[in-house]
Amino acid sequence: MTPAVPLALLGLVDSAFSGFRAYAGRDARIRKRRAAVRAALRGLAVGAVLLAAPALAAVLVLLTASDRARTRHALAVGGFGYLLPLCVFAAVVLLSLAAYFVLPFRAGTFAVVVGLGPLTLLRPLAVGAACLGAVLNGGGWCALLVGAVAGAAVLCVEPLAHRRWYRDAQ
Amino acid sequence: MLGVGRLEISDLITAVDAGSGARLPVRRDEVVRRLRESGDERAVRIVRRLPVDRDGVLDPGAVDRLLIGVHTELQRLSEELRIGERLVDPVGPLFDAIREVGGQNGQGGPYRLVDVGCGLGYVVRWLAATNALGPDVELVGVDLDAALVGEADRLARAEGLTCRFVHGNAFGPAEAATVYVSTGLLHHFRGPALGEFFRAQAASPAQAFCHFDIAATRLAPIGAWIFHRARMRHRLGRHDGVVSALRAHSDETLLRAAAVPGMRALLYEPGGLANPFCTTLRPIIGVRPQLEAPFRRALGRAARRMVGEEHFAGAGVVAGAAVGVEAGGAAGAGAGATR
Repeated sequence: MTPAVPLALLGLVDSAFSGFRAYAGRDARIRKRRAAVRAALRGLAVGAVLLAAPALAAVLVLLTASDRARTRHALAVGGFGYLLPLCVFAAVVLLSLAAYFVLPFRAGTFAVVVGLGPLTLLRPLAVGAACLGAVLNGGGWCALLVGAVAGAAVLCVEPLAHRRWYRDAQ
Repeated sequence: MLGVGRLEISDLITAVDAGSGARLPVRRDEVVRRLRESGDERAVRIVRRLPVDRDGVLDPGAVDRLLIGVHTELQRLSEELRIGERLVDPVGPLFDAIREVGGQNGQGGPYRLVDVGCGLGYVVRWLAATNALGPDVELVGVDLDAALVGEADRLARAEGLTCRFVHGNAFGPAEAATVYVSTGLLHHFRGPALGEFFRAQAASPAQAFCHFDIAATRLAPIGAWIFHRARMRHRLGRHDGVVSALRAHSDETLLRAAAVPGMRALLYEPGGLANPFCTTLRPIIGVRPQLEAPFRRALGRAARRMVGEEHFAGAGVVAGAAVGVEAGGAAGAGAGATR
């Protein structure tokens, strides 16, 4: 079993949220669901392109490895180590989101104040924890390299989408 | 308090003539001087980046664009914190009480809600889009900043919303309100200006007011830092967001300032009765004395979250007041009538 598929899915979902964040705060209309969905799709598209970078990095690492089987194994175990902190982070985000949308406004505020707001700022730390997890799980430098590229890619989605579509929007 | 001496940049970079509402030129050096005197070098650096003309006067067009951008980002915070729902929570029952008392006196609607210092008019436009207060409530937003009012009006027309926006003084006779509301305005009033703000409403024909502002908790400044850092891109917005939390008035200050003749001052969800993680903004409410009992009835169980000045007079008084309220509110209304 390879961790590549769940990692890619996680990256794409994160990209969609990043697209939304790039747009949020740039449109003062009240009814803007369609624009929010479009922003999420734009984030998804940017993420799909950027996530090619870690895929390419993994391929290059494999192609240049002296022992491909061992490197492939290291990437796999490193990938699982990378996945674990991100799954914990994603679970907290999804729980906060569910609470925000389902519960009354006071509890929704709680979900924002304790969950969604701080978690946005903690995204780089989550990526750092994932890289650490990749190394600690036995992935070595090759897993760290691919993980760092993947982390940089997902963290770049929001600023790129903002710069491309929303910087001058009012 | 730490934030008392701090200044919000947005308060300094625009100025209007109080009488005519006309815009006045603002010199950047003067803004820098005031910020420097307050010891806020970060704010100084932000203001120094703003464009000026040859005379050192801030470019009004650039300032307007900046403030519209900052307020658009601020609206995002209001959306996320569901300020519209939070406002309707007490204001809906407030209008129910006004309808009840008006019906008894043969004075029906229509009624008018005026949002003072509406900015981009998010609350007014949200109320119009959701029809949350009913069709008999006219929705008006008023602000001294012509650019923000113009943008609010443009946004409302773009979405076909039934509300309007006015540039000028909210307490003028042309916009006489049934209920005045605001969100995030009160901390801008310092010293005697806070009391004057409430007295102006008591002197108007308004039946009530409901002004939301940042709950002055120890959590507020760090919460404001986190949210403005996470959600806002404008440096000015990030700066002013934190300063706003530092300048927020305490529960006691608001209750004392709002206790003006002709109005019964009530604080909804004060510290101690509300979880600070759930209540980032809470309103100071003023009602005509005859409205207090029907308002409490309309609130139902939520009336337990509302206290008057007696809340700060001592625990024994509070307990007594709470019993009186639970017993039907008539005693509370009587107490209000003596103010």
